[in-house]
Amino acid sequence: MRGERADVAEPIPETPLLVLKGVSKRFGGLRAVSDLDLTVGRGELRCLIGPNGAGKSTVFKLIVGFERPTTGAITFDGAEIDAWPTWRRARQGLSIKMQIPGVYPELTVEDNMRVAAQHHVRGEQMEEAIERLLARVGLSGTGHMLTKNLSHGEQQWLEIGMALSVNPKLLLLDEPTAGMGPGETEATGQLIASLNADGVTILVIEHDMALVRQIARTVTVLHLGRIFAEGTIAEIEVNPAVTDIYLGKT
Amino acid sequence: MRRGAALLRAENVAFVVFLAFMLVYPLTTDEFSILNTAYFMAITLMALSLAMIWGKAGILSFGQTAFFGIGGYLYGIYTLNVLGAGATWVGILVGVLAGALTAAVLGYFMFYGGVNDVFVGLTTLALTLVLQTFMAQTAGPEWTVGEARLNGYNGMYTPQISVGDIPLFGRPLYFLYLGILVGVYLLLRWLAGTRWGYGLLALQENRPRTETFGYNVRLMQVQVFALAGGVAALSGVLYASWGSYIDPSSMGLTAAITPVIYVAIGGRRSLTAAMISSMVLLKLSQSLASEAPQYALVIFGVLALLAVLFVPEGFVVAIFNALDRWIFRRPSAGERVAPSEVAADARRAG
Amino acid sequence: MDGVFNALYQFQVSFSLLLLSAIGLAVIFGMMGVINLAHGEFMMLGAYITTIAGTNGAPLALAMLLGALGVGLFGAVMEIVVVRRLYGRLLDTVAATWAVGLILSQGTLILTGPSMQGISSPFGSFSVGATSYSWYRVALGLVSVALLIGLYLLFMKTKYGLRARATIQNPSIARALGVDTPRMYTITFALGSALAGLAGGLFAPTATIVPFFGVNYIVEAFVTVIVGGANALVGTPIAAALLGAVNAALGTEFGLYIGRVGLLLTTIVIIRVLPDGISGLIDRWRMRPTDSRSGR
Repeated sequence: MRGERADVAEPIPETPLLVLKGVSKRFGGLRAVSDLDLTVGRGELRCLIGPNGAGKSTVFKLIVGFERPTTGAITFDGAEIDAWPTWRRARQGLSIKMQIPGVYPELTVEDNMRVAAQHHVRGEQMEEAIERLLARVGLSGTGHMLTKNLSHGEQQWLEIGMALSVNPKLLLLDEPTAGMGPGETEATGQLIASLNADGVTILVIEHDMALVRQIARTVTVLHLGRIFAEGTIAEIEVNPAVTDIYLGKT
Repeated sequence: MRRGAALLRAENVAFVVFLAFMLVYPLTTDEFSILNTAYFMAITLMALSLAMIWGKAGILSFGQTAFFGIGGYLYGIYTLNVLGAGATWVGILVGVLAGALTAAVLGYFMFYGGVNDVFVGLTTLALTLVLQTFMAQTAGPEWTVGEARLNGYNGMYTPQISVGDIPLFGRPLYFLYLGILVGVYLLLRWLAGTRWGYGLLALQENRPRTETFGYNVRLMQVQVFALAGGVAALSGVLYASWGSYIDPSSMGLTAAITPVIYVAIGGRRSLTAAMISSMVLLKLSQSLASEAPQYALVIFGVLALLAVLFVPEGFVVAIFNALDRWIFRRPSAGERVAPSEVAADARRAG
Repeated sequence: MDGVFNALYQFQVSFSLLLLSAIGLAVIFGMMGVINLAHGEFMMLGAYITTIAGTNGAPLALAMLLGALGVGLFGAVMEIVVVRRLYGRLLDTVAATWAVGLILSQGTLILTGPSMQGISSPFGSFSVGATSYSWYRVALGLVSVALLIGLYLLFMKTKYGLRARATIQNPSIARALGVDTPRMYTITFALGSALAGLAGGLFAPTATIVPFFGVNYIVEAFVTVIVGGANALVGTPIAAALLGAVNAALGTEFGLYIGRVGLLLTTIVIIRVLPDGISGLIDRWRMRPTDSRSGR
């Protein structure tokens, strides 16, 4: 096992893609995440829901490496990544779309894509790859625009395009439809589902239950930094305890 | 075809005109003006170094003069101690490496510590001022390194760049300096267009985000800081060799602010603008100095303030952008393009 | 015994030098995140006003007060004319304030020439053992402490202080609660500038009055603010004490220049460990999640 762990370039198909084992994160006295076990299998589309302050965003920060866990271990694609800096995790196929659009407003759309894709796309294929991805997220023909001139929804899609350009093994989406109207939300949901159909493993934080219903097969409910419930969307929606925590009864 | 059209931009045309002028100029003027212009080129390298880190990587260093001074002094110390043919050329290398190494060490402490933005400016400015006060008190005879006497505020004598035993002078010196200036300029422009350069462009807007795209942000910051330190040191080397002399005031507060002023007035995002702006302002400052010495810096201060307040892209870049719009009929390289109708049209068409 | 006294004396001299140099810069940085690179020139301006008032017959304390007021006023104008227009453009703000500093020092050079008749240091001296000490330097130490207490009361016990703390914590929430944040910024910039002017006036009797007066203090001001971080009331004095100890120890043993080199090296090592300075460390002790890794 130990020998295999060093050999991270070789995927190990039978292991799950992402494993969080006994992960806790404390900010001083505050336990943002507490003894969390979370496993995401290859090809899954998993939604992470929970009321405000449940620790969802902290979980994402721990996975990408913005924060280090106080205790516990994170394994990604068979490798223990706890000690890895963020950039190394990214190069191993971990990609994130952040909650506040993490695009570069002062760069053109094309340069945004280029920055994201550079480590994964050869120079001569770059322009074609950018065109293809922009078409996929519905932004064809905007390449020369300054990103700050895009609408909020367009920036969200651009960021999904950027997150995709790295051919991710795992795509983390933190509230991908925040600030979108119903039509845009619907389109985003279709995009996410089609990406997953193409084989991208996706972990989504989402508040919009309509979207969760649209895309998710498995839903994990986080509450007070712990896993509160896990199951299909149908199971979760009829679970009275889950409704209670959303209404603030627990 | 697309690439050829992309090259026809005001910035590139300006560079070609600048280069043509610099090539012809020494054939039209006297020895004094030739040497004088060589001095401008030496100092302009420092402006280029600042434009690289400030404009292309978002790191505002107030202490490029520290590396300038380190380069100049180390060049002097080496060439005074090692004689013989070719020693001055090795001396250039020694000065440049010393500057780059110092910048790398300082950069490691700053960027790996997580220090950024204004604190980088403060730390680098503190470095150059401390070096200045330190060098200023080396007047005594105990401050000698081998044959090299540091000589405090009186300044240190340094040998000139020589071929064989003959110091370079006049046009050969001019063309050497021009070659170095243009070479460094082209190198930096090439680097800015590489994968690494795009990463720098990205990290100046958002460091954590750029890290999530697989860029080793801190390492890249140290690298570009060291590169700029090396270029600033080269500037100091050429300055010391040009005048056979370097003194602590080259690392003082007034010296430290001048590259910032030149780059702010010209435009930090463009290496071409920074280079041309620095050459023109150096010439202007010299003309003013013969008429009214104190006023040059006040005027430059006012110009820089006006630039930051009203023309943040810089005066020279603003001219480039205007030319791009009116003559070359293309959207300017940066701001104020692409109204959203364009995108809407494009989407409808696509 | 003499040695102990000498060490204490040197320490408090270094401490007050660092604290007074830095406090104005730190107050502005703490609230606005802006570094006023004209800080040294503001001190110079304070020294000039104090000196001119002093040589024209004003009592020293009044002359210093005039220096503080004059520079405070200038700071308010600069905030409105320059700094406010650059909101959100931190590096540009710094470059702009530096340009103002350049205009001030060169302008002073044009107007008053390379130097000015200074005022002599009051209070005379005293001796412990064989060494003679300046009462004025002791007074500067006491003034530093008094100033800190005054600032503490200002920020903790007044309406301005309450609004200021609210603005530091979260400007948009403060605005929503009815705090006129632009006005807070103007007042705070004026306060920081006045403190710079006061420091210049306080140092005026101990230095030669030249247009580049500020250069003698800005390294001290910078390193103290870098090490202290954003909390002017706690971070700055602790940083001044820490660096003051280093400076006093090295300076007494090896001279002024090595003292300055030591200050810088200490600072560079400290930022590797504490990028947000001592204030950042205190925040961590208070157990707040840090936002230092999140984007702007």
